[in-house]
Amino acid sequence: VKELEIKYGTSATKGLSEAEAAARLQRDGPNALRPPRGTPGLVRFGRQLAGGLQCLMWVAAAICLIAYGVQRGQGDRGSSDNLYLAVALIAVVVVTGCFGYYQEFKSTNIIASFRNLVPQQATVVRAGQTLQVNAAELVLGDLVEIKGGDRVPADIRVLAAQGCKVDNSSLTGESEPQTRSPECTHESHLETRNIAFFSTMCLEGTATGLVIGTGERTVIGRIASLASGVGNEKTPIAVEIEHFVDIIAGLAVFFGATFFLVAMLIGYPLLRAAVFFMAIVVAYVPEGLLATVTVCLSLTAKRLARRNCVVKNLEAVETLGSTSVICSDKTGTLTQNRMAVAHLWLDGQVLAADTTEDQSGEAFEQRSASWPLLSQVITLCNRAQFQPGQEGVPVAQRDVIGDASESALLKFAEVTSGPVAAARGRFPKVAELPFNSSNKFQVSVHEAGPQQLLVLKGAPERVLERCRGYLREGEEHPLDPEWRRSLEGACLELGGRGERVLGFCARWLPPGSVAAGTPPEALAEVATGLCFAGLVSLIDPPRATVPQAVRKCRTAGIRVIMVTGDHPVTAKAIAAAVGIISEGSETPEDVATRLHLPLEQVDPRQARARVVTGSELAALAPGALEELLRTHPEMVFARTSPQQKLLIVESCQRLGAIVAVTGDGVNDSPALKKADIGVAMGIAGSDAAKQAADMILLDDNFASIVTGVEQGRLIFDNLKKSIAYTLTKNIPELAPYLVYITASVPLPLGCITILFIELCTDIFPSVSLAYERAESDIMHLRPRDPRRDRLVNEPLAAYSYFQIGVIQSLAGFTDYFVAMAQEGWWPLLVLGLRPRWEDAHEQELQDSYGQQWTFAQRRYQQYTCYTVFFISIEVCQIADVLIRKTRRLSLLQQGLFRYTWVCIGCFLCYCPGMPNVFNFMFQWWLVPMPFGLLILVYDEIRKLGVRRHPGKTHLGTPWIPGTHLGTPGPHLGTPGGTWNSPGTHLGTPGPHLGTPGTHLGTPGPLPPPLDSIPSPHPPQIKAQVTRPGVCRCLLLVERPKNPKRSPRNHQKVTKKRKTLNT
Amino acid sequence: MATGRNSSGTRRRRSCWAAPGAAVKILLFYVIFYGCLAGIFIGTIQVMLLTVSEFEPKYQDRVAPPGLTQIPQVQKTEITFTASEAGSYEPYVRNLDNFLRDYSAEQQTENIVFQDCGDTPTEYKDRGPYNDAQGQKKVCKFRREWLENCSGLNDPSYGYKDGKPCILVKLNRIIGFKPQAPVNESLPPEVMAKYNPNLIPVHCVAKREEDADKIGAVEYYGMGGYPGFGLQYYPYYGKLLQPRYLQPLVAVQFTNLTYDMEVRVECRAYGQNIVYSDKDRFQGRFDIKFYIKSS
Repeated sequence: VKELEIKYGTSATKGLSEAEAAARLQRDGPNALRPPRGTPGLVRFGRQLAGGLQCLMWVAAAICLIAYGVQRGQGDRGSSDNLYLAVALIAVVVVTGCFGYYQEFKSTNIIASFRNLVPQQATVVRAGQTLQVNAAELVLGDLVEIKGGDRVPADIRVLAAQGCKVDNSSLTGESEPQTRSPECTHESHLETRNIAFFSTMCLEGTATGLVIGTGERTVIGRIASLASGVGNEKTPIAVEIEHFVDIIAGLAVFFGATFFLVAMLIGYPLLRAAVFFMAIVVAYVPEGLLATVTVCLSLTAKRLARRNCVVKNLEAVETLGSTSVICSDKTGTLTQNRMAVAHLWLDGQVLAADTTEDQSGEAFEQRSASWPLLSQVITLCNRAQFQPGQEGVPVAQRDVIGDASESALLKFAEVTSGPVAAARGRFPKVAELPFNSSNKFQVSVHEAGPQQLLVLKGAPERVLERCRGYLREGEEHPLDPEWRRSLEGACLELGGRGERVLGFCARWLPPGSVAAGTPPEALAEVATGLCFAGLVSLIDPPRATVPQAVRKCRTAGIRVIMVTGDHPVTAKAIAAAVGIISEGSETPEDVATRLHLPLEQVDPRQARARVVTGSELAALAPGALEELLRTHPEMVFARTSPQQKLLIVESCQRLGAIVAVTGDGVNDSPALKKADIGVAMGIAGSDAAKQAADMILLDDNFASIVTGVEQGRLIFDNLKKSIAYTLTKNIPELAPYLVYITASVPLPLGCITILFIELCTDIFPSVSLAYERAESDIMHLRPRDPRRDRLVNEPLAAYSYFQIGVIQSLAGFTDYFVAMAQEGWWPLLVLGLRPRWEDAHEQELQDSYGQQWTFAQRRYQQYTCYTVFFISIEVCQIADVLIRKTRRLSLLQQGLFRYTWVCIGCFLCYCPGMPNVFNFMFQWWLVPMPFGLLILVYDEIRKLGVRRHPGKTHLGTPWIPGTHLGTPGPHLGTPGGTWNSPGTHLGTPGPHLGTPGTHLGTPGPLPPPLDSIPSPHPPQIKAQVTRPGVCRCLLLVERPKNPKRSPRNHQKVTKKRKTLNT
Repeated sequence: MATGRNSSGTRRRRSCWAAPGAAVKILLFYVIFYGCLAGIFIGTIQVMLLTVSEFEPKYQDRVAPPGLTQIPQVQKTEITFTASEAGSYEPYVRNLDNFLRDYSAEQQTENIVFQDCGDTPTEYKDRGPYNDAQGQKKVCKFRREWLENCSGLNDPSYGYKDGKPCILVKLNRIIGFKPQAPVNESLPPEVMAKYNPNLIPVHCVAKREEDADKIGAVEYYGMGGYPGFGLQYYPYYGKLLQPRYLQPLVAVQFTNLTYDMEVRVECRAYGQNIVYSDKDRFQGRFDIKFYIKSS
C-alpha cells in the first residue's frame, strides 16, 4: 500500500487533493475512450466514385460529352445520343457509388459502442471527503469506492473489500463472478484478484481502491483501441470481385485502345476513334454486375435473417461460405452462459442431469433411496429465490435473485423435486450461515416437524471434514476408506470435466438445538457429525445444438478452434463435450498419462488435440503458433487475452485460412474485427462485439453458423452462375462494334441499348439465379481455397465468351442481316456501307432494290437494327439463363420450371412490351430462336459429357491440360477439393486408401506440394494433403463410415463432384 | 484468358508448354467449333435470303413515305456562288449535267425499254406483278426539254451565270409507291391554280416569313409544263425490273433572288400520302439555302 501511495503520489485514506486531481486530469486527459480519427465522409464517397471501372466510365462519359459538344459546335443537330449516353453513364457511376458509400457508412464507429459500457458517475475520496464526480474526471491515484450494482469507473487496485465480486465475463470470458480482495494472487494483472477493471460490473459487496489506469490506458481502453485500430479485412468476395473487375477493366481498356489505334490508322478522325473507344468500354464493362452481386447477396442476407443470422456487411454472406477455420469463443457461444447442474454423485454413482436449455433432455434416475434427502438439502441450503410473478414462465427462463451457482441449484431443485417455495414453507428457516470464501461452506437450520434439520453445502473436502457418516440406499453408514476413495475419485472426475463440485450433507437435530436468532458464526460449531448425502457438480453447459453443429462444420471441412478466456480445464471439458476435441483424440497430457511418461518426454506431434493457455502462448517464439496450428488439428486456447485472440486469428490467416470468429464479449471485439467474418451473439453479445462483427446471431446459436456456411457456399455457387450469365452477353455487345469498325456495317447495336440490357432486362434473370438450389451436397465439401477457386476462372470465362457468347453474337448478326435484308439492304451491300450510311447529307442512298433512303429513314432503320440485335441477345439470354441454372445436371434433371421466379423473371423482362421504346415485330423473335435452341442443346451435350466422363476432356469444355484427369476417387473424407472449381484443378483424389468410406484420399494430379503436413491421426494412414495453403491448417476430417451408401451411389456422388463445370 | 496473374494462370501456361498436344487440341476444338458455327450462320442467312424476294422488299415501313431531294446535291444544303465567276458554280453545273445525262433524248431511244407516256399527267401505269415472268418492265420517257431553261440544253449553266439558279426536285424512288394527288383544301393558292388530279405538285416558298419578298419569282418546269410529277411514272418496279427508270423531275428556277444574303427556301411535294415529319426534314420536303454574291 505504501508503495502504491508513493508510486501514485496519493494517500490510501484521504485520496488526492482537488488541485492535484485537476492537474492530473490536465496531464492525462479525461477518463474516457476516444474515437479514432476517421476519413471524412466526402473523401470516402470520392473513393467510391474512383474505382477502376468507375474511372473507365468517367472517361467514357467525358468522351461522350466532348463528342456531343463537338457535334453541337459543328451545328449538327442530328442526335443527342451522346448526351443521353453520358448522362446514363454518370448516373450509373453515381448510383453505384452512393450504394457503396451507404454500405460503408453503415459499419459505424466502433468506439460508440464502448461508450455505453463506461460508467457515468463515480464515488471518489478526495482530500478526505467522499464525493460523487463524473467518471470522466477520475485521474490516476484517485481513491474510489464501489459497491454492488456499480460499474467499476477505472482500472483500480483494490485496497479493501468486503465480499466484493465482479463480473468479468465480457472482458475475460469467465462466466463466474470473480471475487476481488486486496491480496495479490497472480502475477498477471488480468488474473490477480486485487485489480478490478474499468467497465466491469460489481455484483455484490463493496470495495475501495486506487485508480491505476484511466481512459485509454485501462484494459478495456486498450481493447477498444485495438479493436478500432484493426483494419477491416477485405472480404473474400470483395477480393474476388476486385480481381474480376481488374481483369474486365484491363480487357476493356486493351480492346478499346486497340480499336482506337486501329481506327486512327484506318484514318478516322480523333474524335470518332475516341467515340469508338468509349463504345467499346461501355459494351465490354458489365455495368449491371455490381448491382447483381449486391442484390444476390442481400437476398441471401434476407434468407439468413429469417434464420436468425443478421448480416451487417453484405459481403460477409459469402465469407461464411468460404470459411475454413472458425475460432469460437466458449462462454455464451458454445455454452449457455449460465451455470447448471451437470452431474450428481450419490450412492457411489455419477448421474448426469439434464443440461439442455429447454429441459428437453432425459431426466436422471431418481429412484435411489438417497435422493430425497439430497434433494431436500439442495432445496433448503440455498439462498436464491425466484423473482415473484413468474409462475407461467418455464423454470429455465425464470429470473433468479442470487448468485449463479445458487440459482442453478434452485432451478434444478424446482425441476426435479417440485416447487421450492412450498418445500421451504414446510421447513421454515431458523438460522443460517451464508457462504464465504474462508469457510467455503454454507449452513442453514430448518424446523422440520418435531426435529430440526441442519443442511450444509460447500467444497467437498470441507464438507467431508464435518461428516461422520455417509448415505447409501437411504441409510447412514459410517465413513470408511473405501468410500472416501470413491468420493475422491468422483471429485477428481467431475473436477476434471471442468465442473464445480459441491458436497451436500445434513443432520437431524433434536428440537430447539438451534434457537431462532442464533448468530451465524455459532452454526459452524453445531455443524459437525453430519451425514454426507451426495455431490452435485455445476457447469456452464454446452448448448444442445452445438455438438451437432461442430460435427457439421467438420464434415464441411471447417476446423473449429476454441479460443476462450476461461480456465484450460473447463475449456477442454467443454471442447470435448461439443466435439471440438473429438472422441479418441488426446492432448499431450493425455498421452503422457497413458504412457506413464513425464510430459516433457511426450512428442506433442503424437497428440491430435492440444490445449494451449495464454501464458504458454505468450512464451512461444514467433511462428511457433503457426506450427502448433499446423501440427494439431484440434486446438483449444484458454486464458487468452484479447491481443492473443487477435494473434491466433492472424496466425490462421497467415496459414491461408479464411477465419470466422464468434464471440460475445468486449474482449472478443478486436478478434471479431480482424477476422474475415466476425460473428457476434445477439442476446448475450456486448454492443462492442456486435459493432465489431459482420454478422449477428440473434438466437446466440452456434448452429446458425452452419446455416450461414451453407448459404454462403450456395451463394458463391450461384454467383458464379450469375456472373457466367452476365459475362456471356458482353461478347454479343462487343461484337457489333468490332464488326462496325472492321467491316463498316451500319451499327447493329447502340450504347443506350447496351445499357438497357445491362441495367434493366438482365438484372432479373441474373438475380433469379441466386435462388437456385444446390446441385450437390455442398456441406460435404471442403471450403473453397480462395487462391484457387476463383469466382471467375478461365474455363468459365472462355466458355462464356468464346462459345456461348459467340453463338449469341451470331444470332444477333443473323437477325440483324435478316432485318436489313427484309427492308431492302442485302448483306453484301451492307458490308462497307457505313460511311455513306452515316452521311447526314446523303438523302437518297440506294438500297439493293434501287429505293432511295433519306438519312432519317436510315437512322430509323438503324434503331430497328438495335432492336433486332437486342431481341436476339435477349432470346439467347433466355436460353443462357436456363443453361446456367445447372452446371452439371441436365435441365430436365434439375427441373426446367422449378422456380417460377426464374420464369416470371424471364417473362417480365423479355416480354415484348418492355422495350417498347423500340419497334417490335414478332418475326424478329423467331430468327434468333434456333440459336437459343442451339445454346440449350449444346450445353446439354456438354453437361452430358460432363456427367458421362467426369474429369475427362470432352466436347465444348476447354479443359486445362494436366489437371483434369483422374479416376473417380473415394467419395468420403476429403473430396479432393473440387467443390466448385470448374476445370481448373479438378483434382481427383487418387487411389483411395482402405475401403471406401475410410479416411483421407490423396488429391491426385495437383501441383507439387508447397508444403505438406503429415496427417497426425490416425497414424496408420500415411496420407498427405498436398494442397498448399489452406489445407495445411485444415483439419483432416475423419468422417464416420456410412454403410448405407451403396457403391453405385458412391460412384455417382464422386462423379458429380469431380466433373467439370462452368 | 481472364486470369493472367494468378497462380492458375501461370500453371496453365506452364502446362501448355509442357503439353503442346493439349494446346493443339484446344485450338482444333475451336477451329471445328467456329467452323460449325460459321456454317450455321451462313446457312441461316442463306435460308433467310430465300424468303426475301429479289424484286420487292418484304417491308417498306421504314422507307415510305418518300423523301424529297434536290439536284445539285450540296453539302449542308447550301448553294453559294458568284454569278460572275464560272468557277464558283461549276460543281453545281457538273452535278446537274451528270444527273441529266440519263434524261437526254438519245438515252431514251430504245423502245423496248422506254414508253411514251404522254405530255400530260395521267393515271398510274401498273405493269403487272413484281417478278420477271414477263421480263423487264417498261419505263416512261421523261423529256429533258420539259425542263426548259433548266434543261441545260439552251443554257449550259442552268441559269447560274445570270444569278438565276435552277434546282431539280425529285421524289425518292420507292418500289410500288403510288403517290396520291392532293385534295384541294390544304394546298396553297398558287398550287391550286395548276391543279391536275394526276399530278403531285411541287411548290417552293421562303422558309421564313420575312424572306417572302426576297425570293422573287419562282419558275417551275415539269412534264408538259406542269409543276409536278405525273402519276404515270408510278409505281416504281425496282432496279431489277426497271434498271433505267427515270424519276419524274420538276425544275425550279429562282429568277429574282436577292443577292448577298442568305435566303432559305423550302420546297414541298403535295399528296395525300406524302407526309412531313419533324424528325425527318427531308420527308416530302426539303429546304435549301441560297447565297448569291454579287461580285
